[in-house]
Amino acid sequence: MPPRGSRGPLPPLLLVWALAACAARASEITFELPDNAKQCFYEEIAQGTKCTLEFQVITGGHYDVDCRLEDPDGIVLYKEMKKQYDSFTFTASRNGTYKFCFSNEFSTFTHKTVYFDFQVGEDPPLFPSENRVTALTQMESACVSIHEALKSVIDYQTHFRLREAQGRSRAEDLNTRVAYWSIGEAIILLVVSIGQVFLLKSFFSDKRTTTTRVGS
Amino acid sequence: MHVEVKDPDGKVVLSRQYGSEGRFTFTSHTPGEHQICLHSNSTRMALFAGGKLRVHLDIQVGEHTNNYPEIAAKDKLTELQLRARQLLDQVEQIQKEQNYQRYREERFRMTSESTNQRVLWWSIAQTVILILTGLWQMRHLKSFFEAKKLV
Repeated sequence: MPPRGSRGPLPPLLLVWALAACAARASEITFELPDNAKQCFYEEIAQGTKCTLEFQVITGGHYDVDCRLEDPDGIVLYKEMKKQYDSFTFTASRNGTYKFCFSNEFSTFTHKTVYFDFQVGEDPPLFPSENRVTALTQMESACVSIHEALKSVIDYQTHFRLREAQGRSRAEDLNTRVAYWSIGEAIILLVVSIGQVFLLKSFFSDKRTTTTRVGS
Repeated sequence: MHVEVKDPDGKVVLSRQYGSEGRFTFTSHTPGEHQICLHSNSTRMALFAGGKLRVHLDIQVGEHTNNYPEIAAKDKLTELQLRARQLLDQVEQIQKEQNYQRYREERFRMTSESTNQRVLWWSIAQTVILILTGLWQMRHLKSFFEAKKLV
């Protein structure tokens, strides 16, 4: 399960994150985005590498966030406002540090938990030092296809886990809201009914001439 | 940088101060959401860097922590054995995830059933309160008006 990263408690020091700058890597991070905050991540990418950024909001508010991806020259490659989930693939057109930011600045008081998966390049081969001279045997190619299939199973599991976390967070919200509402409504009911009686009594207690007919 | 890792119950698993570079590993003993917090107390940084700190972070989880060339060298595995080992690790991760999913589903179901119960009891309680306050109101007002000789 991907661990959850969080910013430090010191306001004067703003931490910005750089992910593993390797030729072929995938980084999955779930982090907390406070309200009115923006969190940026940087990655050094070589030219021609195919990269994929996927993100999903897990908890908080309307489960949406702004996302923005820029290349080293500052050109915006991807910009979406208030998205719950999206996936974006691009090929790095030049070397340099790419930056992507998640923003919760439109929200006044909800903290959001955002998951993202940034994949740079293809997975490293199992035997990096060997030069592949001969073709793969049938066993080996069977192993490779099983490996790819299992990778997609793990990927689906991750997305399912996030959806389940989202659903569970909504259910727990609902539970606490029902509890508070029940207590609140009980109090309001009692206050209103007792108040009605005393108000009605006060209408009748000051009049000298009690000629008004009571009731229906 | 100070690193603190908390497990889902809030217990601190790891709490250490590192220099400008560090590496830490931990194994989770309970399923659930772990928190990894990194913060810097360095006042020197605040003065020079203008308040911003760029941190390089690399997190690897589960079977991604395995270094296969190293394992091959250590256990002296052939290529096919290494591939089989990798597949075994992946399948183990899938199994762990599915176990975790069963635990999560149970918690979700408990929350939903609790909500269901609360809504049920609250509806009954509200109806009872309504009827009781209605009866009390009528009785109270009736005795009040009788006292005032209006009824």
